Amino acid sequence: MIVVLRRDLLTALRYRSGFLLTAAGTLLELAAFYYLSRAIGPGFRPDGVEYFPFLLVGTGFYTFMVLGIHSFLQVVQEAQQTGTLEVLTTTSTPAPILVLLSALSAFSASALQLLFYLGAGWLLFGVHLPAPNVVGGIVIFLLSLVIAMALGMMAAALQLATQRGSAVLWLLGSGAWLMTGTLFPVGTLPRPLGLLSQLIPLSHSLTGMRLALLQGAQFSRLAGEVAVLLLFCLVLMPFSLWLFSYAVRRARQLGTLSCY
Amino acid sequence: MRNVSEFGTRPTVDSIVFESVSKVFRHRPAFFNWIGKERSGETRALNEISLRIPAESILALLGPNGSGKTTLLKLISTMLLPDAGRVLVGGADTRDEPQRVRQLVGFAVAAERSFFPRLTARENLDFFAALDDMPRRERKTWIEFMLTRTGLLHAADTLVMKFSSGMCQRLGIARALLKQPAVILLDEPTRSLDPASAEEFWDLVRELPADGATVVIATHSFQEAAAVGDAVAVLHQGELAGHRRIDRDAAEDLRFFYAQTTGTLAERVSLLEACS
Repeated sequence: MIVVLRRDLLTALRYRSGFLLTAAGTLLELAAFYYLSRAIGPGFRPDGVEYFPFLLVGTGFYTFMVLGIHSFLQVVQEAQQTGTLEVLTTTSTPAPILVLLSALSAFSASALQLLFYLGAGWLLFGVHLPAPNVVGGIVIFLLSLVIAMALGMMAAALQLATQRGSAVLWLLGSGAWLMTGTLFPVGTLPRPLGLLSQLIPLSHSLTGMRLALLQGAQFSRLAGEVAVLLLFCLVLMPFSLWLFSYAVRRARQLGTLSCY
Repeated sequence: MRNVSEFGTRPTVDSIVFESVSKVFRHRPAFFNWIGKERSGETRALNEISLRIPAESILALLGPNGSGKTTLLKLISTMLLPDAGRVLVGGADTRDEPQRVRQLVGFAVAAERSFFPRLTARENLDFFAALDDMPRRERKTWIEFMLTRTGLLHAADTLVMKFSSGMCQRLGIARALLKQPAVILLDEPTRSLDPASAEEFWDLVRELPADGATVVIATHSFQEAAAVGDAVAVLHQGELAGHRRIDRDAAEDLRFFYAQTTGTLAERVSLLEACS
């Protein structure tokens, strides 16, 4: 784990302008959402909370999840393009573990970005959080992290199989943006789409995070979302590990490890 | 200079065995093949290869481009799986026990692009050594040793993206040797090296069997095969055309053996002249 983190930190630091540009982009995005919420007005209170905090949690967490999932795909994509994938699969460390460790490293960066996002929203744009249930938020966060890792492994398997995982992920990400309550409550959607959104883990993650952080909901109110997220974890994680191992084995059979 | 053996015991294997191994690459044309033409069908890279490579020896795989040399090396390393037959490394089947095989094999690939470009040579080697479970306390010393042996110590802290192709090749060799594998696979290892460096490299390779390693070196150079090989296996269009001991034969004798085993003498010699 340490060597993987060190590799990614060194690589990121040697792209010198990356950090500043990311931070600047984040602040501009926050400003846009803040003024959007002001334009819509104080009368719009989705799920009983002010719109800007609703947006802050929704977009911040959505970005964290999608970036995290994408990081798995990116690990495989970069390894294909740099020519390191073939060599990496001949080391003593199994390929799924390698991808998992590499993506955890990217997740760490996404988590820092999320903290920066929420922190900037709270400090610079005056978000008021009355008595948030921080422990509840952490539980939701950790379960969501495991689910994102599982979805990421599946995205990595897709990239190995098709070399076009980014396009598919972009499509699914756009669907999630629409149907998971990122920008507006899920109840606004037509009933069929609303039902479909219940099958998407991110919907439950966002609901849980908003309940915990914005309404200070106790565990009794969070139990439903926690149970659903736990079920997603138990099903998706083993399946995703199997799927990625299968994809690697298939690529070794077909000779496509070096294709990109 | 310290010797390889001072860094601990190298594992050994009794042999590498190919049992009627075939490898086919299938071409699937794109959906829009009516816009641009993409080849369909298949390429039979290896066809029923049966071969035994004894332990602590150097086998030179000789053949022109496209003869299946790299494919054969990749099958030993588990980068590829056979479509028929099986490959055994020290008794371990590459399909059923890939993890065990990977612990025994080090592969210096021909591709220059197999390193992380924004890490230095030292950082790259440290990363791959860690993935191969080399204990941390040994890594630093062993990396220094390998960088010295491959003539890269002066560039140890240079980003790999600034390396020349020859330097990348040397770094690949250093990486392959780093974990002291029982089996060392070298794919055209002196392709980008200057003649003096190539000679130094051949000296290094000749030492390896005495240290317990089995070496398989893919080359289309008769000179290289003659310089290092204990035996030669000739590949031609995916078939094993010939296999014999060479006892440091002259390159000319190997050239003749190649021509004999692969067909028309004049045709093959002229092809090989072009390759060499």
